[in-house]
Amino acid sequence: MVSAFASQVLSRRQLIQSLAAAIGVVDPAAMRRPGKAAVQAPAYAASPNLATPPGPVRWLQKATFGYCYSEFAAFAALPGGTDDARWTNWVTAQLNPAAINDSACDARIAAGGFTTLGKTLPQLWSQHHAEVNNYNLRMQPIAEIECATTIRATYSKRQLFEVMTDFWHDHFSTYGWDYDGGPMFVHYDRDVIRPNVFGNFRTMLESVAKSTTMMYYLDLYASTVAGPNENYARELIELHTLGAENYAGVMDPTDPSLPAGVIGDGLTARLKYVDEDVYEATRVLTGWTIKNGHWQFPADNDGTFVFRDSADWHDRFTKYVLNRRFAPDQGQQDGFKLFDLLAAHPGTANFIARKLCRRFIGDDPPAGLVASIAQLFQNTWQAPDQLRQVTQAILLSSEFKNAWGTKIKRPFNALIGALRGTFAEFTPTLATYGTDYPTKDEINSRLQQAGQRKFYWPAPNGYPDRAAAWASSGSLAMTWKLLVRLTEIRREVGYDGARPYVIDILGFTSAAFPAAADRTAANIVGYWCDVILGFRPEPVYTKAVDFLRQNAAPTEALNLNEAWAGGATPNLKNHYTQSRLRSTVALILCSPDALRR
Amino acid sequence: MFDRRDFLKTCGAGSGALALAGTSKLAFGAAQANSYDTLVVVFLRGGMDGLSLFSPGGSNANRGAYETARPILKVPLSGAGAGLAVSGDQWRLHPRAAQLRDLYVGGKLAVVLGAGMPAPVTRSHFDAQVNMEVGLAGQGGGIGWLTRVLDSANLPGTVQIPAVSAGSITSTSLLGSTETITLASGTDFRIDSGSWAWNVEPDFRTTAPVGARGLFSVLPELWTPSGDFEAAGRQTLDALNVIKPIDFPGYVPANGAVYDAGSSFAQQLKMLAQLIKRDVGLRIATIDLGGWDTHDGQGNPANAYDYFGSKVEELSKGLGAFYADLNGSGAANYASTTSVVVMSEFGRRVRENDDGGTDHGYGNIMLALGGSVNGGQTFGTFAGLSTAQLFEGADVMVTTDYRRVMSEAVIRRLRNPSIYYAFPGYSGYTPLGIFQGTDLPPTGNDRIFANGFQ
Repeated sequence: MVSAFASQVLSRRQLIQSLAAAIGVVDPAAMRRPGKAAVQAPAYAASPNLATPPGPVRWLQKATFGYCYSEFAAFAALPGGTDDARWTNWVTAQLNPAAINDSACDARIAAGGFTTLGKTLPQLWSQHHAEVNNYNLRMQPIAEIECATTIRATYSKRQLFEVMTDFWHDHFSTYGWDYDGGPMFVHYDRDVIRPNVFGNFRTMLESVAKSTTMMYYLDLYASTVAGPNENYARELIELHTLGAENYAGVMDPTDPSLPAGVIGDGLTARLKYVDEDVYEATRVLTGWTIKNGHWQFPADNDGTFVFRDSADWHDRFTKYVLNRRFAPDQGQQDGFKLFDLLAAHPGTANFIARKLCRRFIGDDPPAGLVASIAQLFQNTWQAPDQLRQVTQAILLSSEFKNAWGTKIKRPFNALIGALRGTFAEFTPTLATYGTDYPTKDEINSRLQQAGQRKFYWPAPNGYPDRAAAWASSGSLAMTWKLLVRLTEIRREVGYDGARPYVIDILGFTSAAFPAAADRTAANIVGYWCDVILGFRPEPVYTKAVDFLRQNAAPTEALNLNEAWAGGATPNLKNHYTQSRLRSTVALILCSPDALRR
Repeated sequence: MFDRRDFLKTCGAGSGALALAGTSKLAFGAAQANSYDTLVVVFLRGGMDGLSLFSPGGSNANRGAYETARPILKVPLSGAGAGLAVSGDQWRLHPRAAQLRDLYVGGKLAVVLGAGMPAPVTRSHFDAQVNMEVGLAGQGGGIGWLTRVLDSANLPGTVQIPAVSAGSITSTSLLGSTETITLASGTDFRIDSGSWAWNVEPDFRTTAPVGARGLFSVLPELWTPSGDFEAAGRQTLDALNVIKPIDFPGYVPANGAVYDAGSSFAQQLKMLAQLIKRDVGLRIATIDLGGWDTHDGQGNPANAYDYFGSKVEELSKGLGAFYADLNGSGAANYASTTSVVVMSEFGRRVRENDDGGTDHGYGNIMLALGGSVNGGQTFGTFAGLSTAQLFEGADVMVTTDYRRVMSEAVIRRLRNPSIYYAFPGYSGYTPLGIFQGTDLPPTGNDRIFANGFQ
């Protein structure tokens, strides 16, 4: 049976091949074709023969929003006799962002005409959340945060801070355009996430819980004794702290098979959570709400956090979470105790250590490093600079330094990396120009097609951080399309030829090679490889040179013209060379070496 | 064994011939639709409230318990927002599911009761989705269950597009498949955003000097080295090449079908309908509709505020248009070779919460739609809504393993018996009779055959 089957297949395959050969073509345009494996495990490994850039280039690619030449120059000027010493100094400086002069980036934002970024929480509440007729005005805070986030990711010298802000926004992910959360998003980004990025996890956890944005997103504001709502409590445990890896499912909490152990506070607790813990944590957090003009308290209406201790709001009876007893009548202390319990729990330490290592090292980071980072996380759970210590330990580890090409830049990272690598001029604002389609809107739309517009992930688990998600044809193709477009798009209004390009490719090329005789394909491609990639990998370098030179020699100076050179005997080296130069840069931006980290 | 259409496409190899692929059937005067079936899996992300989409009707013994548990949210039997009675008023479809009601009454839509994943029980969205889509308890493997269906499907050696995952990110059920195209929009899926002068044939323009090669035709040369990322890049280039010749904007749905322009779900169904009619070999498609996690403010069809109802309407209109578009006669009867299965990761708590919403539950319904579905009826048993009949006194009991429904679709419609390979650890399959088709003894996978191509 089996052999007959196989021979039938073989004969059909031979028939197909002979027919194809007779026609003289091989069809590449089929997803299933002979000789191609149908299944490839999504486990992601870099090629063993991967061209590897120098250490500082690798490290900057991974710890910033993308390698850029000025960052590299600043790195090279740091004190220290070796790259390793300079790297330690770079990390130390980046971990103290307040001491980094970021005036140029601040000036860009100041010039952007934003009006909500400095508003207090009550101002956001009264001027935006209360706005029910003008949707754009209501959502202006999230729209401005989206702009400011792009500007900072591209231009801030506090790159590690921006990268970690991105990480923690993913960890405590909310949908930015939520009808209730969007108007308050300035508060969420500015006052909840950013101040704690190098601070203490327990502090950030409580700050998130109290935030108007998260209160609405996961319904905690409405959770009362009479109407407990378990949405937040479930994601608090599953996504923010212990993680699904520590979920034992629907089980009796007293089941003897559930392990217990000593946690960070020196006392024992159950190590795995069950559904009963979600329900009990829900009870613990009843009464945590906001001043939203509730009918019982109409005068309390400024959007700020409030704990309501009355019998109909907060559940006053005894509760048990992870085998810990919560005594009756403890009011808001119940919640503080819950956050302490979760923040000191080894399950949280492991879950977050693994996520952090996944971000910087690889989809399945080395267990030894994860264990040591988790131990540090737990040991420092009460330290005000816990996350600074943890981030530092990861970035100075040999695992971080040695890993290369184990991750794919996600679309937002790919966009920002391309902007940084090409000295681009892109300062998105809310300004509109009549009925034109602003460049900011086009780029955000293309990011959305690629699968990662910022603050646009609908579910509370945040954007995926595994290669399998971003190596999909849908995401990768739309990322390429965005990057190619980036070499053609104009500032402010993408199609308005009167405005300068976002990337001044011709200008930088001419400036790099002021003598016309130096403008050879080899020189020009070498320059753009250096500034975008930090090295000149093959086959990218040679293929880009071939495309740019056409029928010229690699070392022949090109006339950077913009004219038709077709006709009966086309001379392609003179055919629309400025356009070809832009497409050459697009090729480099779309190369695997530009998109891995 | 031998698929004439796929064979024909191979004979007509080359991008020029691709444009003709959809017409091969006419040229040979075939009097039927595709010679293979397409299975479309719709995943309602967030935990769809099956008790609102398909509520106990006036003659259903569970009506009293339902009304007790759902004082605010219940779909009424009469007056504004009354549910649409089916099966002798045993059940009511949501009033904004008019298209689904028509399909049910017309015998094309069936409802599976008490459907879900028997074990492990999880009320985590993300755990539940991964468990179901990987087709394994405990999330192992990282290969989707539909990937294993494709892998064991005994397909011809050359198929243009065996599978599509509609969206930007591949659905977990198709993870690991190298034959799947992930795309959110066929219209957008082309690298034509470069400079006009070098966006040339064989890319997108025809007015270019002889010998000029555009950016898109040079791009593959950068992605030749070995390595997983480069392989993913080549996979993406394959997909772009396959999709490029297809005129998505020019597609005109048949039979007056109207896909809502504002619904990406409807637009993606339209894209799938076009690919099915184009006879590109599509066996499997996945498509998502999210927004069902209604902990708060679920709404009620009797009121002006009806959030859940607007989601139902999007689902119903989309599927209604899809079926109508495919439901031609003779060679245009694609509905008979297309089956849609609608699922969600779990149902919602029977008792509504105090915020006008429902929390995470367990058992749910599944929908099966298609010209070869034994519609107009329910399948499986409903354990009931009294406290003793509920799972942990709170949730609809799972009485039908979702794998049983999927297995029947795979065997009877895709004619692939390898369900124990698709669902490792699954055993004891018997059909419920949801789909028309021939039963095959269920098996694991014949790995020797699968390796025969290599």
